[in-house]
Amino acid sequence: MTFTTTVETLPTMGRYNLRCKRENTVALSKSLGFDLPSSIGEAARSGTQSALKLGPDEWLLTCPMEERATIRQSLTDVYPEAVHSLTDISSREISIRVSGDQAEELLSTSCPRNLAKLSTGCGVRTIFDSVQVVLMREGDRQFRLDVWRSFAPHVLGLLAVACAEFESGL
Amino acid sequence: MNNWRVDGKGRINRDKRVRFTFDGVSFEGFEGDTVASALLANGVHLMGRSFKYHRPRGPVTAGSEEPNALIGTSRGGSGRFEPNTRATVQEIYEGLTTVSQNKWPSLNFDVGAVNDKLHKLFAAGFYYKTFMWPKSFWDKVYEPVIRASAGLGVSPAEPDADTYASRYLHTDLLIVGAGPSGLAAALTAARSGVDVVLVDEHRELGGSLLSEAPTAIDGKSAESWLAETVAELNAYPNLRVMTRATAIGYYHENMVGVAEKLTDHLAEPPATAPRERMWRIRAQEVILAQGALERPLVFDGNDRPGVMMASAAQTYLNRFGVKVGNAAVVVTSHDSAWYAAFDLADAGVNIAAIVDVRASVSEHLQAEARKRDISIKLEHTVTTVLGKKRVSRVKLGKVSEDGNVSGIGTVSCDTLLMCGGWTPSLHLFSHTKGSLHWDAENEVFLPGEKTERCHIAGGGRGLWSQQAAFDDGVHAAQQALASRGQSAPALSIDVDGDRTGSGIIMEELPSNDDKFARRAFVDFQNDVTAKDIRLAVREGMLSIEHVKRFTTNGMATDQGKMSNMNGLKIAADELGRPAPKVGLTTFRPPYTPTSFGTFAGYHKDALFEVTRKTNIDSWAEENGAVFEPVSLWRRARYFPKTGEGMHGAVARECRQTRASVGMFDASTLGKIEVVGPDAAEFLNRMYTNPWSKLAPGRCRYGLLLGEDGFIRDDGVIGRISNDRFHVTTTTGGAARVLTMMEHFLQTEWSDLDVWLTSTTEQWSTIALNGPNARKILEPFMEGADLSAEAFPHMALRECTVGGFEARLFRVSFTGELGFEVNVPSEHGRALWEILYEEGKKHDMCVYGTETMHVLRAEKGYIIVGQDTDGTVTPVDAGLSWAIGKKKPDFVGKRSLKRPDMLLPTRKQLVGLLTEDPNVVLEEGAQIVEAGDTAIPAKMLGHVTSSYWSETLGRSIAMALLEGGFERNGTSIDIPMPEKTHRATVTGTVFYDPDGERINM
Amino acid sequence: MLLIDCPYCKEKLPELEFEYAGQAHIARPEHPAEQSDAEWRDYLFIRSNVRGDHAEQWRHTHGCGRYFNAVRNTVSDKFIATYEIGQPRPTVTKEGEERDEQLES
Ligand SMILES: [Zn+2]
Repeated sequence: MTFTTTVETLPTMGRYNLRCKRENTVALSKSLGFDLPSSIGEAARSGTQSALKLGPDEWLLTCPMEERATIRQSLTDVYPEAVHSLTDISSREISIRVSGDQAEELLSTSCPRNLAKLSTGCGVRTIFDSVQVVLMREGDRQFRLDVWRSFAPHVLGLLAVACAEFESGL
Repeated sequence: MNNWRVDGKGRINRDKRVRFTFDGVSFEGFEGDTVASALLANGVHLMGRSFKYHRPRGPVTAGSEEPNALIGTSRGGSGRFEPNTRATVQEIYEGLTTVSQNKWPSLNFDVGAVNDKLHKLFAAGFYYKTFMWPKSFWDKVYEPVIRASAGLGVSPAEPDADTYASRYLHTDLLIVGAGPSGLAAALTAARSGVDVVLVDEHRELGGSLLSEAPTAIDGKSAESWLAETVAELNAYPNLRVMTRATAIGYYHENMVGVAEKLTDHLAEPPATAPRERMWRIRAQEVILAQGALERPLVFDGNDRPGVMMASAAQTYLNRFGVKVGNAAVVVTSHDSAWYAAFDLADAGVNIAAIVDVRASVSEHLQAEARKRDISIKLEHTVTTVLGKKRVSRVKLGKVSEDGNVSGIGTVSCDTLLMCGGWTPSLHLFSHTKGSLHWDAENEVFLPGEKTERCHIAGGGRGLWSQQAAFDDGVHAAQQALASRGQSAPALSIDVDGDRTGSGIIMEELPSNDDKFARRAFVDFQNDVTAKDIRLAVREGMLSIEHVKRFTTNGMATDQGKMSNMNGLKIAADELGRPAPKVGLTTFRPPYTPTSFGTFAGYHKDALFEVTRKTNIDSWAEENGAVFEPVSLWRRARYFPKTGEGMHGAVARECRQTRASVGMFDASTLGKIEVVGPDAAEFLNRMYTNPWSKLAPGRCRYGLLLGEDGFIRDDGVIGRISNDRFHVTTTTGGAARVLTMMEHFLQTEWSDLDVWLTSTTEQWSTIALNGPNARKILEPFMEGADLSAEAFPHMALRECTVGGFEARLFRVSFTGELGFEVNVPSEHGRALWEILYEEGKKHDMCVYGTETMHVLRAEKGYIIVGQDTDGTVTPVDAGLSWAIGKKKPDFVGKRSLKRPDMLLPTRKQLVGLLTEDPNVVLEEGAQIVEAGDTAIPAKMLGHVTSSYWSETLGRSIAMALLEGGFERNGTSIDIPMPEKTHRATVTGTVFYDPDGERINM
Repeated sequence: MLLIDCPYCKEKLPELEFEYAGQAHIARPEHPAEQSDAEWRDYLFIRSNVRGDHAEQWRHTHGCGRYFNAVRNTVSDKFIATYEIGQPRPTVTKEGEERDEQLES
């Protein structure tokens, strides 16, 4: 089998860490314009914006860089009645896309999770080698890894070595 | 060549000849041969010298349990030599180079063999006893001599040139071993549709089917049945077959480590292929179908080349088409060796006699032996093997009922095949802490209570015959599926001409010779004899674990696969207790020796561990920075100009910063965004300082204690808005502080509405320090006033710097006018370069961590972890001012009142000025009373920080000193090997004590 | 490598995502200032050293980030139960009993 899986670094995207207590999710959803997902690992999308639930009170909001201000404004407006924390982490992380027939197996070189259980559209915080990542399954054969900036070279280095290994056919 | 090949036998590829060398001599074999089978095919039995006695040794097995035939192999080029490779496992390929080990000057003539003559000296426990006196002789004489003469192969000196890989795999069912049981289980499970992984350590599937004379299976020849089965298995999309893959360890929750050899059999491996891969396989169910290992018999000379396991001879014949000798004697306590004798006889080997210690053996076997003109000696034994580098004759004896042995003469032979029965291979099962129970009737340990979802099939359960193994494999698969709530139809595999049998287990074979004079080996690899074990028991080793350590029985690289049960039987006999009461030693991973590289996986060279770099790091690299590691980060330590060493560069950086301005990459500082209506309250509880009244736009130094009252971290905390704080931590403390905060927040203060987000890597942080710092920034501020009035010390604002959104702090870690600009990470280098250009107008320098350390020390600013060590309170560190006195509580507050925390004799942080201003004390140096020359002197403390201060033109130091505050102005001594230095105790602020420069 | 059932993620996940965080059910005294030296010492330092079932805190650090409680057997290493912070320690049967039922047959 020819190895055609690719690894690419994506351009900077807008990212917020959103935190709030359960009782305020309704108000926040309303001002965001879409429902925050309620189960860990689930994502919700509306146009160019998405929210991935990472923990019981934690979501990763993503959007194009230029839409960050809109999100910030709408959530700031609702703060008095629905307290929360919105923190810009756009620059904290680098996104890596792995796509191709062997994308899942390529990631299994360093990720201990059973990736077959990660459904398309879902994402989790997990570990890749010793590095914490947010791993999203964008499609059957496509994944995105969000990695803290300074750890990205290590992750990319591991993936490059793994690609060479897969290319060898052994 | 190839006198020893048997036509029509074996699974080697006779169309493909392969040349390799052993000790410089070129040999030929066939594709599919191991080094051992190819050498045997060339008539070579002598393959190594033993560990302790340097006795000549040949292969005793044909598998991974081999203790004797250890060789060095070279995969070509530097860093590709491997010692202690089992010749019985290593496949040959064109150009393979191998060497024998533990011999000098040659395998045939080895000086170290004198150890064998001195064997009385090397008896069990010799390390502990013989060399006790005189003491000095140990490191000077005994140890070097023993080290030089005993041992395995030579460790490679170069770094391993190969790469290694790892992979996680999740499956419904993992089957370990592809012999009859494993194959039957795999067929059963694969047909039912579950995901199956089948691993086997050999190059091809089949296990014992590859070694036995052809039976008929399901009406076909065993060979075609196997070929069809392998084809069927390979066709299942839900089944993955791995060969050359050894299950080396069985860990919690059904995780099995499998070491797969990828290239060691290839003459020209693909360029980027890893040598080996470690699979971490997580299975819902595991079937262990690892079979059983044949036990050696223990008798004088049982280690001589030409003495071999009966099943090994069978394997060499049936799998490799090699006869291991022309004339063989078989000695056994189990029926299986009779079959081996028949196979060899049918291939033209003269079987001089079958010597069986048992009184009765089935009539069927005896008839088969008679049919082949084989002399049958029941109730007989082998008492001695003659011949050094190869068996030449064996002495036989008749065993009477009382155990007395009367010699009946010798028989000539070139091979002695032995079989002491079969030990179920339960190593992996033992890794799970599964219990073993003693089957008294068959004298064997069988799997007992399980701790994991595993099933054992075939030889591992003491079953011995192909039919039984097939049936048990099917059964195990059904069980495994049933525990997943699934069922599989029964599969029947019928064996025609099956060989069944049984046997007994012996201690040493009976002999009238002195038990203590016999060289009857139990552990071949560690040269442990039956005598050693008996001696250990006599010397008071009552537990098998003690016997093991005293004798080293079972401690070699083969992990006692062959020696364990024999050792136990002999120890039990000497103790006069039943075997299960004496117990079995613990099996530990790995099952077979495994390359370090396989465990390391991808972690070598640049990927050995994470190296974190800031956005500005690339500029530092391009501009000649010297780096140092700080936690996982690499940070620029100093920026030498041409011809400058560290001292010169740091002195210059210090001068320029104090005189004009210096720029520093502070991006690695930890940053935590604390947000929510209870943010200030949360910080009140965490930090010693008060936060409620800190106005937005202002910042404050924060000190963090552990609940035990000792300093854990510090940093500047800025209030961005009422409900939002920007907390900074030390570089190394970032993760730890966030963890500690989350712990308190989640487990103690879940009532608070506050949330924490790490923003360390959101921001690149550039620090500008020095009287001209403002001048560097001002041109790039858009409509912001940086004047001392508008933007005083400890102010902060959100603004735009050089076109980048920024958080600007007016803070200083140097005592100079200082600013820290935070911009989104990816813009760090761009802003740095803008400011660097501007700096050229003002004699600005860039500086690294070393200058930062010196400048802060001149001001007495502490570095947590350097000037504190986890036993320092705020009071000890002179930071009482940072404690919010009116706060009812904060983490660690109560501990500050514990009696020991209040003692005046605690170690306190002080400054030191050496009498000789040119002496820079060593950090970590111990401090004693002035004039105290007693040995040992009382240690009063130690130097924590020490530098040459260019600013002051002399050395400065800080120290943790017992009762340090009260010693202010007195002298202490710092004894060093070359000289004792005297110093005066001072305060910690050496420069600008009134802090005027910071407010410029 | 253990699998740990995170009570928030409701999934058995690899140990590598988790960190141990000390003995469970040791509450920080509400008014530390009122604690005697001995009481405070006990809170700080005195821990049980159980051979058998042990209640401890873990954190799903590289996952949902939550701290939770667990009962783990210190002999077998295995987790008997996991539960949210603030929940009482569950009464569980001795380690092994449930499992053996599953394993036999
Ligand atoms: Zn979780």
